[in-house]
Amino acid sequence: MKNLYLPITVDHIARVEGKGGVEIVVGDDGVKEVRLNIIEGPRFFEAITVGKKLDEALAVYPRICSFCSAAHKLTAVEAAEKAIGFTPREEIQALREVLYIGDMIESHALHLYLLVLPDYLGYSNPLKMVNEYKKEIGIALDLKNLGSWMMDELGARAIHQENVVLGGFGKLPDKATLETMKKRLSEALPKAEYTFELFSKLEQYEEVEGPIIHVAVKPRGDVYGIYGDYIKVSDGFEFPVEDYKKHIVEKVVEHSFAKHSFYNGEKPFMVGALPRLVNNAETLYGRARELYESHKDLLRPTNPFANNLAQALELVYFIERGIDLIDEALAKWPIAPRDRVEVKDGFGVSTTEAPRGIVTYALEVKDGRVAYADIITPTAYNFAMMEVHVRMMAEKHYNDDPERLKYLTEMVVRAYDPCISCSVHVARL
Amino acid sequence: MEGKVRIGFYALTSCYGCQLQLAMMDEILQLLPHAEIVCWFMLERDSYEDEPVDIAFIEGSVSTEEEVELVKKIRENAKIVVAVGSCAVHGGVQSWEKDKSLEELWKTVYGDGKVKFEPKMAEPVENYIKVDYRIYGCPPEKKDFLYALGTFLVGSWPEDIDYPVCVECRLKGHPCILIEKGEPCLGPITRAGCDARCPGFGVACIGCRGAIGYDVAWFDSLARTFKEKGISKEEILQRMKMFNAHNPKLEEMVEKIFQGVEE
Repeated sequence: MKNLYLPITVDHIARVEGKGGVEIVVGDDGVKEVRLNIIEGPRFFEAITVGKKLDEALAVYPRICSFCSAAHKLTAVEAAEKAIGFTPREEIQALREVLYIGDMIESHALHLYLLVLPDYLGYSNPLKMVNEYKKEIGIALDLKNLGSWMMDELGARAIHQENVVLGGFGKLPDKATLETMKKRLSEALPKAEYTFELFSKLEQYEEVEGPIIHVAVKPRGDVYGIYGDYIKVSDGFEFPVEDYKKHIVEKVVEHSFAKHSFYNGEKPFMVGALPRLVNNAETLYGRARELYESHKDLLRPTNPFANNLAQALELVYFIERGIDLIDEALAKWPIAPRDRVEVKDGFGVSTTEAPRGIVTYALEVKDGRVAYADIITPTAYNFAMMEVHVRMMAEKHYNDDPERLKYLTEMVVRAYDPCISCSVHVARL
Repeated sequence: MEGKVRIGFYALTSCYGCQLQLAMMDEILQLLPHAEIVCWFMLERDSYEDEPVDIAFIEGSVSTEEEVELVKKIRENAKIVVAVGSCAVHGGVQSWEKDKSLEELWKTVYGDGKVKFEPKMAEPVENYIKVDYRIYGCPPEKKDFLYALGTFLVGSWPEDIDYPVCVECRLKGHPCILIEKGEPCLGPITRAGCDARCPGFGVACIGCRGAIGYDVAWFDSLARTFKEKGISKEEILQRMKMFNAHNPKLEEMVEKIFQGVEE
């Protein structure tokens, strides 16, 4: 069979984190091959942290990815604390989740307004939208600033938070700062609702409609959130986070430094805000619950573009949730920032919900050092499914102008909010 | 500089944190009227990697053969090349195990799996091209960007900081983590500029801005202090190497302290 066209390629997909490209090969009877090429170099995080002191390894893990460095830090710390047999106090757990929510707010705002919205409004770059879309850019900056300020206060920094340590925090903000945080969160709520309104009006692209297996953490305490002890699959199956290797298989693929993940041997699946909603909507509360009920038709489990709207809904939810968690912590004020921990030998697994989907850390600790590390990031979980959806889009549009095809397939990739850097370092086989 | 300054922001292998830090600065909007973004894939779809620019900011370590070619191309096209962040300046945390072989690291992570691109051990940009200026940090502070951009825009040249985090820590009045808590704080050898951020939170410095330049990083005297606190040579080296693995003085100076000492 001969190829009618040269491969259609995007060497470097813009407005995502990390370096990846799309390659589509079209033959005379349609699309032959679709590949997401991941060209970012390997960073070997599991290999370089093995044998290192636990606290030093925990300082390095967040550096896997800046967009979700809090997610990496908090998941790694939870896995380490499980390994050494330590459980943080409830109020410390609540404040860690507030820090995580800071990451969620910043990351969602950044993704929706700066990376996704320009496509819909016809801009190549969000900075060019400033004059025409003053309100939208203003909201984007306000939400982003709120999220990064929360991470500054609770994590010492918005990127690579050193303030989270085994046993708690290095230092906690004072009561007045937490009161201010509550106030700023309340003030941000209308902006999040505006974001939801805005994204509910955007095109959903029916070309990529089809069944999706959704995978998310089953939230602890049955309240929609970030932490959990079980993984929930949209086919009804649930398993403890420790059993992840029994149900999810990682494979090296030739065109990518990042591996691909499959559920029960062969099935691609999706992680992210949409899977969280699909699997856990009954645990939502407050304004987000109302918005979910009234917009169910748009939050379709069958369309990856609904992930954008799901993120917008989560902005509303996590703002309200953040306020409640701060109240939980304030009820126990004053709070000691950390407990003494004894670093015992052991093995721990933590899976949490990073802004762009589940992230898993499995750590074995021996003599105060990391003896084994296995990390799977959201984007690595998502790649196989992403390729399926890029293919669906390509199959509908391969006869169009190549520029249009590129634009549409890039939009599919962006809807997943991929963090390519973090997917490239991957897990031990 | 006259007219709009042509700026390119290029990424090698990294966490994208330096770019994220830059993208998150509201002040970037004030800069725009004076600059033309020629390449910045993280925000700009119309990005061109091989066009001439006045200032090239490079983030990330050189970690593939393709990236070797890319940095050479950037150098040819740029008047000023700025290495941004710990990866570009020092090779990044991915250089922590620089003494292991690529094959060994590859096997640990990928097993027998093959990929069609050529991986390399992570290296600083300077190992391949001349770098004119460095912005330190993992990630750099916002003020580092503002200072560098500001000085370039008025046609001047930013200065390096030549004193350690300890100086800022003392000025802030934080308790000394090394002396008072006995923790392995790298403040004494690490380039200042972060306002002693981590010690301010009660957390020991891990050295993310890299060792102070001008050969004044006292790896040896800090190693002596650590040694007196009962920390082994291996542990001292590991900690200092996290962000300094490519520093030519490090091992030699730590070795000096442990000469003739049985581990």
